[in-house]
Amino acid sequence: MDERNEQMAARTPRATSVSLAVNLGGLGMRNPVTTASGTFAAGREYHDFVDVAALGAVTTKGVSLNGWEGNASPRIAEVPSGMLNSIGLQNPGVAHLKEHELPWLAEVGATTIVNVSGHSFDEYVSVIEALEDAPVDAYEVNISCPNVDAGGMTMGCHVPSVEKVVSLCRAATARPLIVKLTPNVTDITEIARAAEAAGADAISLINTLLGMAIDARRRRPQLARVVGGFSGPAVKPVALRMVWQCHNAVKVPILGMGGVTTGTDAVEFMLAGATAVAVGTANFMNPRATVDVIDGIIDYCEEQGVSDVNELIGALQC
Amino acid sequence: MTLVNEKARILANACVGPRLWLMELEAPAIAAAVEPGQFVHMRVPLMPERILRRPFSIYARDAQAGTVEVLYQVVGAGTDHMTTLGAELKCELMGPVGRGWQPPAAVSRALLVGGGVGAAPLFMLAEELVGAGVRTDVVLGAQTEAALACRGRYEELLAAGASCGCAGARCATDDGSFGRAGFCTSLVEEALAEAAASGEPYDYVAVCGPEPLMRIVAGMAKASGVPCEVSMEKRMACGIGACLSCVVDTRAGKKRSCVDGPVFPAEELMW
Repeated sequence: MDERNEQMAARTPRATSVSLAVNLGGLGMRNPVTTASGTFAAGREYHDFVDVAALGAVTTKGVSLNGWEGNASPRIAEVPSGMLNSIGLQNPGVAHLKEHELPWLAEVGATTIVNVSGHSFDEYVSVIEALEDAPVDAYEVNISCPNVDAGGMTMGCHVPSVEKVVSLCRAATARPLIVKLTPNVTDITEIARAAEAAGADAISLINTLLGMAIDARRRRPQLARVVGGFSGPAVKPVALRMVWQCHNAVKVPILGMGGVTTGTDAVEFMLAGATAVAVGTANFMNPRATVDVIDGIIDYCEEQGVSDVNELIGALQC
Repeated sequence: MTLVNEKARILANACVGPRLWLMELEAPAIAAAVEPGQFVHMRVPLMPERILRRPFSIYARDAQAGTVEVLYQVVGAGTDHMTTLGAELKCELMGPVGRGWQPPAAVSRALLVGGGVGAAPLFMLAEELVGAGVRTDVVLGAQTEAALACRGRYEELLAAGASCGCAGARCATDDGSFGRAGFCTSLVEEALAEAAASGEPYDYVAVCGPEPLMRIVAGMAKASGVPCEVSMEKRMACGIGACLSCVVDTRAGKKRSCVDGPVFPAEELMW
């Protein structure tokens, strides 16, 4: 019974003397853990399990100017140590986010990163403009969703498009601007450099890997849209490699993600060069995953005699 | 309503029919709070490479003993693995999740239709209705007699409800091994017609089972002018309303079967 009570009560990380605060391109985070966009809605759904104000930040589900319906079902498939999704950025539009979700996040005291999506260059800018008077701490520009036909990954694979969309967003806001990169490119450092040169304050990576799953007996794809984004513990090696490559290629801080499930995973990303990490698919496995990851970082630091989590950033010895 | 993620102890896990298993778990918080038609999202133990939870409707609960029962059908690797889990193992159950059955407040006569393993999510509703003195009829369909795994409990419950007009369950099996041979939809049609002719028509139909069955029954209820609810089953990831994996098309746009459902008024669905 004690075990259960403890489990149900602890919505915040445990107390520690380790300094956990980090700065992600001008965004102050009380600890280095946020949520991966699209896995956590705008936080409210998880509030029975996680005090979202205790996270480094909440990164909200991608939002477009007007609502998007998203893709047909089935939208997900389970694969070994991971999953595929093809949600297609279903969202009710920026006005809804502004009216219903952002005030709640502000009221509970969360640090908020809004993930911004668009079908066109102009749409990204319009979404940011619509949010400039709202309680938002940073923007994450989503040029990496693999599940939409326009915008998303189509923009994030092409250097001139990256430069253009990031420059336009940069001109639209003075707030910290994080650019989320796709791993579905030949050389991610080329894209990272383009984002940095166009004014990004930070980059986040990786979005999902483009993949597919097949039902052999029915000779059908498992996803209605045939292909989808691969995430979960299985993608962590790819994500670590790309974070490390980008850390060696750009000066802006990195928000690392891809299979982060435990505190040790988070530490690995930081050693590879990430300033902060995002927990995504793990939220589906464990609704308290974000808090568990923070607790795990604290455990690691205490065991290793690390007094400030910033000591870990890029501390990989190789 | 507060969701919990309970470390539930498996008390029993036994085969009760062809590919049908009954798992009993100790989960006091969920047992106390669960309403008919709600489900739990289970993290299946000892299966680390299959990362997603599995949603299971609650078949029965004993709030005093703090236990819940789940009837599951072996349909894939996850449920196949579940059959190997022994008593005393612990597994995380998140719940109770979702919008359960919501019969009209003034319901006077109800028809419950369960196809295959879909009989289980209706049982707590049947208990609630019979307990409230509502005349309740039950139609069960399955492939074989052995697959009518819930029939015994329904018969017992309906016998206890004889004073409020409950009769025995009408059953159909695909192979004719028990009850009517063929699909149970003919029994539904007859039940609707008989009730209307008797001057005591149904004012609520609830159906759970394969989607084609639910569609047909919903159509029959509509033709008879009876409100109908259905319980949708979709592939699900978070089970909490965040990921939008399990959406269904409704007249009001896409809705999440986990938290906006799993039970929906049939007329809202676009299918």
